[in-house]
Amino acid sequence: MLDKVWLVLLFPLLGFLLNGLFGWKFKRGLINLIACGSVGLSFLVSLGVFLDLLKLAPEARHFEKVLFPWVVSGSFKTAFSFLVDPLSALMILVVSGVAFLIHIYSTGYMHDDPGYVRYFSYLNLFTFSMLLLVLADNLLLMYIGWEAVGLCSYLLIGFWYEKKSAADAGKKAFIVNRIGDFGFALGIMLTFVIFGTVYFTPILERAPEVLQYGGAAATAITLLLFLGAVGKSAQIPLYVWLPDAMEGPTPVSALIHAATMVTAGIYMVARLSALFLMAPVSMLVVAIVGGVTALYAASIGLMQNDIKRVLAYSTISQLGYMFLACGVGAFGAGIFHLMTHAFFKALLFLCAGSVMHALAGELNIQKMGGLKKHMPVTYWTFLMGTLAIAGIPGFSGFFSKDEIIWKAFSSAQGHFLLWFLGAAGALMTAFYMFRLLFLTFHGKSRLTPELEKRAHESPNKMTVPLIILAVLAVIGGYVGIPHLLGGGNRIEKFLEPSFGQVSKAVETHHSGGVELLMMIISVLIALGGVYLAYTFYIKKTELPKKLAERYRSIYTLIYNKYYVDEIYNAVIVQPLKFFAIICWRFFDVIVIDGSANGLAKLVGLIGNLIRRFETGYVRNYALGFVVGVVIILGYFMLR
Amino acid sequence: MTLYHYLILSAILFVIGMYGLLTRRNAVGVLMSIELMFNAANINFVAFSKFITPNEFIGQIFSIFVITIAAAEAAVGLAIVLLIYRNYKGIEVDNINFMKW
Amino acid sequence: MNLTLIIPEIFLFLWALLILFVDFFTAEEKKHRLGPLSLVGIVITVVLVVFSGQGQAFGEMFSADYYSLSFAIIFLGSAFLAICTSIDFARERIKHQGEYYALILLSTVGMMFLAASRELLSMYVSLELTTISLFVLSAYLKTDLKSSEAGLKYMILGAASSAILLYGISLLYGITGTTVLKGIQAELVGSAFPGPLLVISLVFIIAGFSFKLAAVPFHMWAPDVYEGAPTPITAYLSVASKGAGLAAMVRVFFGSLLPVTSEWIPLFMALATMTMVLGNIVAIRQSNIKRMLAYSSIAQVGYILVALSAASELATTSMILYLLVYMFANIGAFAVVIAFYNHSGTDEICEYAGLSRRSPFLAISLVIFFLSLVGIPPLAGFVGKYLLFLAAIQKGYYWLVGVAVLTSVISLFYYMNVVRQMYFRKPTKNDPVKVSWSLRLALVLSLIGVIAVGVYPDPFVSLISKAASVFVY
Repeated sequence: MLDKVWLVLLFPLLGFLLNGLFGWKFKRGLINLIACGSVGLSFLVSLGVFLDLLKLAPEARHFEKVLFPWVVSGSFKTAFSFLVDPLSALMILVVSGVAFLIHIYSTGYMHDDPGYVRYFSYLNLFTFSMLLLVLADNLLLMYIGWEAVGLCSYLLIGFWYEKKSAADAGKKAFIVNRIGDFGFALGIMLTFVIFGTVYFTPILERAPEVLQYGGAAATAITLLLFLGAVGKSAQIPLYVWLPDAMEGPTPVSALIHAATMVTAGIYMVARLSALFLMAPVSMLVVAIVGGVTALYAASIGLMQNDIKRVLAYSTISQLGYMFLACGVGAFGAGIFHLMTHAFFKALLFLCAGSVMHALAGELNIQKMGGLKKHMPVTYWTFLMGTLAIAGIPGFSGFFSKDEIIWKAFSSAQGHFLLWFLGAAGALMTAFYMFRLLFLTFHGKSRLTPELEKRAHESPNKMTVPLIILAVLAVIGGYVGIPHLLGGGNRIEKFLEPSFGQVSKAVETHHSGGVELLMMIISVLIALGGVYLAYTFYIKKTELPKKLAERYRSIYTLIYNKYYVDEIYNAVIVQPLKFFAIICWRFFDVIVIDGSANGLAKLVGLIGNLIRRFETGYVRNYALGFVVGVVIILGYFMLR
Repeated sequence: MTLYHYLILSAILFVIGMYGLLTRRNAVGVLMSIELMFNAANINFVAFSKFITPNEFIGQIFSIFVITIAAAEAAVGLAIVLLIYRNYKGIEVDNINFMKW
Repeated sequence: MNLTLIIPEIFLFLWALLILFVDFFTAEEKKHRLGPLSLVGIVITVVLVVFSGQGQAFGEMFSADYYSLSFAIIFLGSAFLAICTSIDFARERIKHQGEYYALILLSTVGMMFLAASRELLSMYVSLELTTISLFVLSAYLKTDLKSSEAGLKYMILGAASSAILLYGISLLYGITGTTVLKGIQAELVGSAFPGPLLVISLVFIIAGFSFKLAAVPFHMWAPDVYEGAPTPITAYLSVASKGAGLAAMVRVFFGSLLPVTSEWIPLFMALATMTMVLGNIVAIRQSNIKRMLAYSSIAQVGYILVALSAASELATTSMILYLLVYMFANIGAFAVVIAFYNHSGTDEICEYAGLSRRSPFLAISLVIFFLSLVGIPPLAGFVGKYLLFLAAIQKGYYWLVGVAVLTSVISLFYYMNVVRQMYFRKPTKNDPVKVSWSLRLALVLSLIGVIAVGVYPDPFVSLISKAASVFVY
């Protein structure tokens, strides 16, 4: 099966081509079969690859498959070739699995949409791109997947393009991502200059010899690469596109947030772990950006009233945790959290979609409440997701998040402050998630009468994926039970070959007692968050309003997301537009034509020729030409 | 008469041509100025041919080709000026600025 | 003397005469068949070029090598695509179709000679053959004010620039006593300090070629001429004429001026920076798609200049590859513009609203061409840009590459603006845009090119790197 790994990519690509080119002729059933079937087959192949990999001895779990050579120019070579190791095997499993469930769900959710075929062909392309990104065994091929993912997100976020906000959100996502890609592209080129290759295996093997520990080259490469990751994985300061990205259909948000797109940044950092370990400064930057984002995004999540927006900020915050883990060298923990997060975040988004489906697109949680009785399946699955993300013991999020918070404190690169960022974020997470749960499903109904009548449970096509994901969200964490609780932390053991010498760097020097204490603290923190939410939104429902009034300024600041969008608009977007106008009106029309005139006047000082130099366009162009020659001559003369 | 006399002559001719290119408003005048620039280069070619490579005639051959090409260019140029005259009822280059920015 | 080497050029020249001849005996309503006839000639010429062997003729004046071969294929390819896009356009809007096609072929003959010449006289003559034909073509819509204005502007500025170039050539001849590039190089190796005459001649030559390339600050003719000229000619101008300028420039600078690299490399870096910045930024505010593409093609030249200042084998490879890639994407984009113009008679970007629903094929093709121009993988533009920038990186020009990448980010703004119009706006009309077989052929060929070079560039790169090894770096 390992040899057939390219089939993982082939099926979604075929699905995209079939539905994209001929879909308008197909019947609904056939479209569904192609779209879901292709991803399903891809999942089955991934499963086969994964199981085959397990059969091998841990050291031998490294397999490269060359499909055909791609660019060969002098010393520069790349090929379409794939790398299967524990890291990529786990990723393809998660990506194709979650994507499959989302495809199934979408057949219900998008039922009445006129763009049905277009939607599914984009969705298949999206899955294909992400799988390509994950399977690539060189940076260039990864970059292709990276860009393709960006393009698909643009298409899908702007799927309902009649809506201006959706079209704008698509554009925003694309452009913000391009800023990150700019860093990523430069990072790839710098890597090639220094290593002479873009393949992961030699780069990672030779990193300790080629790069000087803490040297400028290592720091520059990793910071540039991290810039790419920041864009794609929506970290400070490039996170602004993700909350807007929910303008797309809800299953797309689930796909972006859980399986494809945003996890790409984490994956890239983890894939290049050996490079990052050579640059302690970059590691610190990664950890700080991750930690601060985790706290910052969680704080915004506290005040939002839009169900999808809360989930979006929660994703940013959770991604922050993953970067925090990578930054302290606990790459395994980061990927572990990526996996559990994929389950529960996909679940939460699909539940949100189910709620919207029932309430005709209503998003404001202040206008919901009491939905528990209308939609029991959605409620219970949502509860599972919430418990998982809040880090309640026994659910998947607990194991992965606790591992990260613990590593932030205990690893060699860890620090108390990093732990604090994580822990404070965890408190807020528990609070805003339960706030969301209580406001949506509990309490008295605040629905309008007609919505009250309309509210219903979603069809089976939608609830079955919810149930499967809920099960995964509960049990997904049991592959990584820490030693302390008698588990073997199997997932990190499994991933270890992908990270090479990393495990040494993370070695802890704390006793089991400290670990236990920290674990208890974080459980208490989570429960505290839940309790607070309970008091605020079930018992004393008038309390939030009072608090909001008392701390008016802070409330508005956070409610408006710290005005970051407005600031970016004022500081970056408007000046750039302004600059363009200046260049056009001022530079081309006034400076070039004007400098031509200026020079003309200079000559005119000598004689009475000034009138003859009146502007006329052809002659102005000629003058521009001559001025160019004169400037270049001047450059040579003054040198 | 040394090489420099010729070079200075050609430089003066070139600058006059360029000046005309920048100042003439009549399209035909502009074309004539460009012809001056071509001829400045021709003087260079012939002079260099005489003083630098007296045994070969590269420069002189070059200048014959240039004269031919300049004639072709002038023919096409005048045809286009004629076209402009028909469309714009005049050949003032300053009036022809329909497209800008 | 080996005359068999110039058989392809002679053949294409005779074919152009054949077109003129046939034109005499063709009824007006059948004249559009001259288009396919010229296509046949081009295809035969391509075969001849590939099989005509290599060597030198007329001393150094003509040299058939991999360098001239790759450029000849690019020129013939763009002529082919341009004629494909012309057929409907010409039938509807152009009188004297025979001369129109013949002039395109003659211009191509000039370009082929240009790429093959290693001597300044033959280079100059073929350059003039190329440009004079294009003067006529850009003024070809006789009653159209814009077209005749474009012709006048192009003619005046083109002639002036060629006079300046000629003056530079004459000085270079005076300094070195020869017009053969090899001889010039041999003379320059000895001279330690370049005199003022050499500097002046270098500057004039750079200015003359930069005009053909439309590099800032010698670009000012380009937007007007591109907007005014018949659109197929604009497509041809934007690729083939630039390619001709590039072929000559690379031949002169890498073939004879490498001993004095320190003189001109900083200059090209400055030109590249200005060109990329100005081209990309001014393009943002354009409302006419031809004008926008004109500025975009100025910007594309900036990227090529980035590699030109790297002056290495990889740089030459990347430039030629980029020209190939750019040919597919740019002529493809123009083909969409022409199809739209033929149907609706307008080039305004706002008229493209909702094109994705009126003609999904045109819309998606334009998106693909634009993405290739931006350099998004796996399309050809990415491979091209990657190699260009790699060449510069190898020489350590990090900031230059930084500017290049940054400006290509900016370029997204104006390309995506069109995409937004096509996909995210409601159409004002609902009639589908008809695409004839010839335009469809051009579109499909360009699409295949953009995708094939992007996905599997290896054979192209290996052929072109043979062309790059013509020079000794």
